[in-house]
Amino acid sequence: MTPERYHKIGELFHEALELEADERALFLHRECTGDAELRREVESLLRSHEEGGGVIDQPALSVAAELFAEDSNGQVVGQTLAGRYRALALLGAGGMGRVYLAEDAELGRRVALKFLPEHLTHDAEQVRRFRQEARAASALNHPNIITVYGIVEEGGTSVIASEYIEGETLRERLSRGALPPAEALDIAVQIASALRAAHEAGIVHRDIKPENVMLRPDGYVKVLDFGIAKLAPQRTAEDNGQNGSTVKTTPGLIMGTDRYMSPEQARGQEVDARADVWSLGCVLYEMLAGTPPFTGETTSDVVAAVLKTEPTPLAHVTRSTPVELQRIVLKCLEKDREERYRSAEELLADLRRVQKRLEAGRAGGAGPSAGRRFAVRVALLIALTLCAGSLGLYLYKARSAPPVGDKKSIAVLPLRPIGAARRDEIYEVGIADSLINRLSSAGGLVVRPLSATRKYADINQDPIAAGREQQVDYVLASNYQLAGGKIRVTSELLNVASGEIVETYKSGEKETGNVFATQDQIAVEVGTLLLTRFNFKQNNPTKTRGTDNEEAYRLYLQGVYFNDKRFPEDGLKAVEFFEQAVRLDPNYARAWAGVAFSHRSLSDIGADVDIHEQHRISMEAVKKALELDPNLSEAYNALCMNKLNYEYDVSGAESACRRAIELDPNSPLAHNTYARLLFSSQSRRFDEAIAEIKTAIDLDPTSIYHQIVYMFALTIARRYDEAAQQLERLAQRNPQRAVGYYWIVGGVALQGKQSEDFERLMRFQRLSNVDEETVRIFETAYQTAGWQGVLREQAKWSYRFNRSPYFTACIYAQAGDKDKALEYLEKTYQRREHWMAYLQVDPRFDSLRGDPRYDALVKRLRL
Amino acid sequence: MTTHSPQDITRLLLAWGEGDESALAALTPLVYRELRRRAHRYMSGEREGHTLQTTALVNEAYLRLVGSQKVRWQNRAHFFAVSAELMRRILVDFARSRGYQKRGGAARHVELDEAAVVAEDRGAEMVALDEGLKALAELDPRQARVVELRYFGGLADAEIAEVLKVSVGTVRRDWTLARAWLNRELTHQ
Repeated sequence: MTPERYHKIGELFHEALELEADERALFLHRECTGDAELRREVESLLRSHEEGGGVIDQPALSVAAELFAEDSNGQVVGQTLAGRYRALALLGAGGMGRVYLAEDAELGRRVALKFLPEHLTHDAEQVRRFRQEARAASALNHPNIITVYGIVEEGGTSVIASEYIEGETLRERLSRGALPPAEALDIAVQIASALRAAHEAGIVHRDIKPENVMLRPDGYVKVLDFGIAKLAPQRTAEDNGQNGSTVKTTPGLIMGTDRYMSPEQARGQEVDARADVWSLGCVLYEMLAGTPPFTGETTSDVVAAVLKTEPTPLAHVTRSTPVELQRIVLKCLEKDREERYRSAEELLADLRRVQKRLEAGRAGGAGPSAGRRFAVRVALLIALTLCAGSLGLYLYKARSAPPVGDKKSIAVLPLRPIGAARRDEIYEVGIADSLINRLSSAGGLVVRPLSATRKYADINQDPIAAGREQQVDYVLASNYQLAGGKIRVTSELLNVASGEIVETYKSGEKETGNVFATQDQIAVEVGTLLLTRFNFKQNNPTKTRGTDNEEAYRLYLQGVYFNDKRFPEDGLKAVEFFEQAVRLDPNYARAWAGVAFSHRSLSDIGADVDIHEQHRISMEAVKKALELDPNLSEAYNALCMNKLNYEYDVSGAESACRRAIELDPNSPLAHNTYARLLFSSQSRRFDEAIAEIKTAIDLDPTSIYHQIVYMFALTIARRYDEAAQQLERLAQRNPQRAVGYYWIVGGVALQGKQSEDFERLMRFQRLSNVDEETVRIFETAYQTAGWQGVLREQAKWSYRFNRSPYFTACIYAQAGDKDKALEYLEKTYQRREHWMAYLQVDPRFDSLRGDPRYDALVKRLRL
Repeated sequence: MTTHSPQDITRLLLAWGEGDESALAALTPLVYRELRRRAHRYMSGEREGHTLQTTALVNEAYLRLVGSQKVRWQNRAHFFAVSAELMRRILVDFARSRGYQKRGGAARHVELDEAAVVAEDRGAEMVALDEGLKALAELDPRQARVVELRYFGGLADAEIAEVLKVSVGTVRRDWTLARAWLNRELTHQ
């Protein structure tokens, strides 16, 4: 590399840093057109910037100290202390002293000897309190608290002889990155359990941090150093004020403890059990996120963060943490200790509840023992993370038999990088995309779509958990390594039920010069191996990448990603990415289909756009896509949606839908669209519709979209009990949106079970954390005016909250207010919303049928 | 500091800073001993508040010097700059002398599954960092200096700005990019 090149990279790096993460892709695309290598350089520097953790992130002196320490540990090793402990080796050294492995000559067992730093043992009163507390904690005889055998005086300092624990500290474990939620939870439960016992005995640890937690290979967690905090100089409020300015000028050296210290400790106030709750909250956060919640370059920055800053929400840092667990962490990290858990006991109860729920999910697959054996053998899977797996269980599972006859199902996971800094999405997602296309073409396999598996693009991905969540027979998990212009890929075919590796594939080193050639080569090699394994004949992929332009392909992948999120702002981004892609490669049919689909979807997902204009653009893109590739399923799907949702042309929509499915029977979206068509006003083929949506769920069991359509279909089909069951499943899966789901089906109160329905509404409001005032308003309304009162209240705010006027119309119709119902239906029609396609079959409008204004509306719809 | 006074150290530092390479040979064992004494106290948990910084080591010498002897330093910044370079030399030489080698090229040929669990080694990191800094100096000498001053010298951004006669903003930009580049080069060779 030349200095000029380096400076160019540096300029882009700094400019990109100024941008929000999701704006960077477009920016780099613009700036690096025609120079993919430049872009890779900048991107890898940005990742490196965000990850940090290299040698220069620690102060030089601490590195020096560790180097020099090795030279000077001869003094203790070999000596016998207190007449019985013979020191064998230095195990480690840290802020609170050095630790040696020793042999207890009297009892013939191995012990750990910890030499406390001399300067901490000057104050006799402090030492007395330390001894008392260390003994008291040990005397609790708790499996998660280290056992102290004795405290002896040696050479003017105190030496603690304790149980020798084989394993590593949590700090060491964390140096390899974040932990899967199930493993983090398991460790947190054990720490909380130790703390509960201590708190009950009136002992506060005061210094819970990853350095003080040992992980034994058998899964036991041990909390160390009870009482030692009693020796540390007490921080006072004054200290902070005085040191603040000096400390600011000395970057680099942060003592670990400050990061886990509660606000009250930072202020020098008295502490109680709630300080430990805080620290455990910090540790739990770090296990899940990979970084501590409160950081800073200097001590005073850290202290300021502890006192004032809210940690980055876990949901932003990691996608795999269950919501309940996020809530628990937040409650531990309340600045005001009155808002925290009052004790470890309360915290433990909540942690166990989540754990139980996760384990319930685990029971669905293979036994945990099989999983564990697998985990031990494949070192990459340190433990099972089944949080994701549990979600699937709560949702509707279409059939107990495998879908579509006896076909085997497989999920191809995005490739996992070895080494976080050299990552490139075009390999992670791109090779998975090529493989999915290749395997789909065999016809004998049900292959999960990229939209379902893309979320596993995570260094900490757990393939078996992913496989359970996807409800597949097999998972193809791969990793890759980029170095010196070469890539190597290793793929493993895993049997989800047994956790065994069925097949391993190793690519040789391949040049990365031509990304697509490399990608295809690997996809063909792995694909051939697998298809042969299952005795499937090989077909040429019906779906292909469809472009030779690397940049256009990157943009297309970005577009697909945002398209799947189904929120208005993401939809707009998807549009932009697809449009950029076709600008770079105007012959890229799949990207044109993306343009068509994303423009079509904008109004469906609630974006504020001119629907007529969107329709026009979408239809043009459909035409373009089909000109380029008359066999493109995605294009037919977009066509079908346009016909159904905008033109209300059911027969035109049906032929497009059928064609889309015929071209790609594995497309969940095509089945979803067809299902909606089948239960629309004109078709009224409810049983077929429900079968179709079940197929969509079979093909992509994790997508919440299909689950919602299933609930809606059951309501339209007047199968209210089943609709209510599905509503409950959705609410459990995504409690924040429980109330939202509730009103999609209008409370299902049509069957006259109003008190039951009211109880459900109240329950969901609590699940979704609806504010007290709103809850009270609904309660009062029900008490004074019954269900009618609830409907009136709901009608009042339904439209204000920017939901479709269709739902407001539903509510008025149920409340018997025909004028209002028709008024809002008219609005729905003016906006050309797809909901109008269900007007005549939606049971909630039964009261309107026969009204001349309703008939006139139907006529205008040409339904 | 039993046989040599701080004045000795400062005198030697001065000489070395002015280009007398032979002063380094006399200087190294002195500073090394002091460093080791402090490192030992650091390891045994004697935190000494924030004075654990490298700067403190140098600062003490500087204050004694300026206070007593009126030696002609170009300025305080110059002194820090020389100290940072010395610290780098001592640490890297120490690591090299103990046989720590940069993981370097060999890692490229490691089997994929093994590469995931590369043992991190302080000494090797120090050697690798030194080589990384040399490579960086080829691309942007000032950025390499910023890293040296900040990491080995323990200087604050404002002090670095003073040494290099640039703005604090430039120092921060240099550091951000250099840190990202070095971390990447060192972690994933």
